[in-house]
Amino acid sequence: MRDQITKYTGKLLADRSACADGIAFAAQDDVLITAGAPELAALAGGTLSRLNSLALVAARPSLPFADFLIARAGQGEECIVPQDTETRTFLHDIPFLRRQDLPDDPGPLLARLLGTRKGVIVEGIGIVAVGAITVEQAFINYSSVFHSTFVKYLQDVLADGFRLPGEREAFDSFRRQWLRPLSATGLDFIPALSQEKEEILAEIERVGRYTVERGLVDSFFGNISAVAGELIYISQTAASLDELRGCIDPVPADNSSTTGITASSELLAHRKIYEQTGARVILHGHPKFSVVMSMLCDRKAECAIKDCWKDCPHVRELGGTPVVAGEIGAGGLAKRVPPVIGAGGSAIVYGHGVFTLGREGFGEAFAAMVDVENFCRDEYFRRVDGAKG
Amino acid sequence: MFGWTGKLLHVDLTRGTCERREIPADILHAYLGGRGLGVRLMRDYFRLGPFEPDLPLIFAVGPLCGTNSPTAARLACVSRSPLTGTIYDCSAGGRFAWRLKGAGLDALFITGKSPHPVFLSVDPARDELHPAQSLWGKGVKETVAALSERGSVTTIGPAGEHGVLFANIMMGEGNSIGRGGLGAVMGAKGLKAITVQGDGVTGVADKERFEAARADVMRLFRASPVIFGELGIAEYGTPALVDLMAQRRMAPTENFRSTFFAESGNYSGPAIRKECGAKKEGCYGCPIQCKKASAAGEPLPEYETVNHFGALNGISDLHAIVKANSLCNELGLDTISAAATLSAFGEARGRFPDAAEVASLLADIAYRHDQGELLSLGSRRVAEIMGKPELSMSVKSLELPAYDPRGAYGMALAYVTSNRGGCHLRAYPISHEILRKPVPTDRFSFSGKARIIKIAEDVNAAVDSLVACKFAFFGATLEEYGELLSAVTGVEYGPESLKAIGDRIYLTERYYNCANGFSHAHDTLPQRFFEEAGSAGEGIEVPPIDRVRFEEELQKYYRIRGLDAEGGFGGRNLLAELP
Ligand code: SF4
Ligand SMILES: [Zn+2]
Ligand SMILES: [Zn+2]
Repeated sequence: MRDQITKYTGKLLADRSACADGIAFAAQDDVLITAGAPELAALAGGTLSRLNSLALVAARPSLPFADFLIARAGQGEECIVPQDTETRTFLHDIPFLRRQDLPDDPGPLLARLLGTRKGVIVEGIGIVAVGAITVEQAFINYSSVFHSTFVKYLQDVLADGFRLPGEREAFDSFRRQWLRPLSATGLDFIPALSQEKEEILAEIERVGRYTVERGLVDSFFGNISAVAGELIYISQTAASLDELRGCIDPVPADNSSTTGITASSELLAHRKIYEQTGARVILHGHPKFSVVMSMLCDRKAECAIKDCWKDCPHVRELGGTPVVAGEIGAGGLAKRVPPVIGAGGSAIVYGHGVFTLGREGFGEAFAAMVDVENFCRDEYFRRVDGAKG
Repeated sequence: MFGWTGKLLHVDLTRGTCERREIPADILHAYLGGRGLGVRLMRDYFRLGPFEPDLPLIFAVGPLCGTNSPTAARLACVSRSPLTGTIYDCSAGGRFAWRLKGAGLDALFITGKSPHPVFLSVDPARDELHPAQSLWGKGVKETVAALSERGSVTTIGPAGEHGVLFANIMMGEGNSIGRGGLGAVMGAKGLKAITVQGDGVTGVADKERFEAARADVMRLFRASPVIFGELGIAEYGTPALVDLMAQRRMAPTENFRSTFFAESGNYSGPAIRKECGAKKEGCYGCPIQCKKASAAGEPLPEYETVNHFGALNGISDLHAIVKANSLCNELGLDTISAAATLSAFGEARGRFPDAAEVASLLADIAYRHDQGELLSLGSRRVAEIMGKPELSMSVKSLELPAYDPRGAYGMALAYVTSNRGGCHLRAYPISHEILRKPVPTDRFSFSGKARIIKIAEDVNAAVDSLVACKFAFFGATLEEYGELLSAVTGVEYGPESLKAIGDRIYLTERYYNCANGFSHAHDTLPQRFFEEAGSAGEGIEVPPIDRVRFEEELQKYYRIRGLDAEGGFGGRNLLAELP
């Protein structure tokens, strides 16, 4: 398990979601082990030893958004409710602990909170997330909490402006230093993908790595596919985009075999997109600004629909890219995305993420996703600046 | 009280009495229902032999039964297995469970032995025993038809009457209480069938919270490729696994001599759909509907059954497999143990049975005719009697299902730690080792598996006590089911408290087994898995399991469970510590 801890510590550093000096893991088989920043490691060990789970991560996020959300929360509130839909499906809500409510030994209290939720935010300390059966799972849950607090904070700032001392400065430094320009330049793509299995697998693997390396998406959320004749090659469910070797299922287009039962939950959406657009490849991820912007709707005040994320029937748009609603998996997304994605090659799903396609290879799909996210990023800051007046 | 009725029906077959009794609320809170409640109710009886009259046969529903909770119209049947000698429970879905709850009961507690065959009718107006001479000897379908006006029926077939050690108890709608031979326990009591009628409703403490939790569960079902994916079990049933297990080179073939059967495509999910016109069916009240039936309404076989009547016996004819499945259902035989016993017998005598011989041997087993007398004892005893004990592919006498342990090391460990013998469902590591839920683990590594198996056993013991279906957990987790439970009962539960309940149930079972002579020596796999490789292919090697590494992980498991190196409790009196 030490190797796993080293691996996922590395991932937290690579995706810049945690501070280098603020990461600790605990894991237990028949003995408990801890690793990382000493104080956090003690906290991680003291919490995990009280849980019937295998692993736990305690880390200080690289951005202060989670703490700001707590400080901005009302008096009686005890948790943050994520607004992006995929995180909410799996996390429901994220309990938090205020600094002043923290006992000297927070282990028992944290264990109690983690007894019912996958992640907790502790003000001034960081995100504590548990992995029931693997170290990777703890990392995934940390990432989910990080993702959803990021998205929610950006939404809240846009809606309500800054409210706390230091908030504006922190936001400015996030904008100027933390964020890095997104681009597809310098990446190698096969311009026109052949029908050859080895080439397709290798290309999917490589593109998966690119999406994470370029900071376009978080590694765990997203899926990639390519079609070749009667086969769809698609990344497996619960696969990390930057580690797709051995995790790509060939699925016959006519469903004559069920080996693809382990394929991504978005298989149906991919299949329908291929049927309706004639594309060669599809890329799907959850770039954060696209997720934030997709949830802005000027009709909110007069619209009778409550669960926009799954029920909104409108096709809205962001910089020319269509935005539709729909649940993941066997829900509605597979119905609403295919009809709108063909025209411009990309589509945004409300509160969820982006689908893009390539007619010959992944270069087009990748560039399209970068464009969508860049547009949403610019548009977001334009609106924030506008609101500040 | 919400969720529970707080009552059990105590039936004494020796004295011919039926009496409704209270179950203390603290017992219900601490053991929930289903498997947990049944195991707790066995506390004063676990040393009794499987055919001793005073051994109870318990049917217990859970607090979610009778509500709109997805997959929760289920019960657990608990007793001691004549096949394995262990404590035994089996989860089964269907209307019977729902009606039992509707009749105002959390459990049926049946003890004694009737001097002549009887059936029991349960009804809020009146619970009574009736003579059943005219039903004795009848097949399952006929018995169900004869009694159906009295409500939902559960019954044994000829196999249970004749004491076949792997006889099932069959539910009217095609569900079965399988594997451990509880049908023979029922038969030994002279109890042919049970009918239940009742439409009482289960109260829900917090309706709004309940609806929110239910919506969360459904959302996770829809997000799960294994459940509602276009290649998942809602579409193809568990035979969706046939192609996958073939590709992963872990489909037990010819008594586990190999792990790949070239003709398995004949009985894959898509093949069954095409050949049999499979349509969706399933347990009452379940949105998943993973069971399949032919156009004529005949239940079609599950994954384990197609593999074992197929690859395990070297048979590739789908229709012969379907027929064997139907025969087992009608005779009240467990399909996995029946097929695996035939396979061990086949290897021992040097020839696997062909399709025609399978059909005639199944009938012989149920009536204990000719060779059926021997085969009715299950593979462990058959192989011993034939002088080749190593050919029984079983753990604690329970025949292994259709996941070769050489292809999934968590499964290897879970087979031996299971308290009811070689069963895949106790920890269901296939979920993460193969199906990548909730996250994938390395199937060819033991690393972390001791803890993972322990946790999963606890989770599943809780699930079996709610009672919910394991397949629900390809999507949902105890987080959402804990919410459902809290909303229904008004008592707060979450994943950790539910796992603690699971741990309590698991340890109780282990304690009973140890008291009955089980120990470390029984926690092992057939030697074939440590000595012979499985079938390699598609870049996958399936080497024998490293015995040293296996044993090391087992010892870790004991330590995590708080057991000694022999897998026992030392001098500890566990039961005195528990509610
Ligand atoms: S998933 Fe299948 S086995 Fe489980 S409750 Fe539903 S129909 Fe029954
Ligand atoms: Zn997505
Ligand atoms: Zn709207």
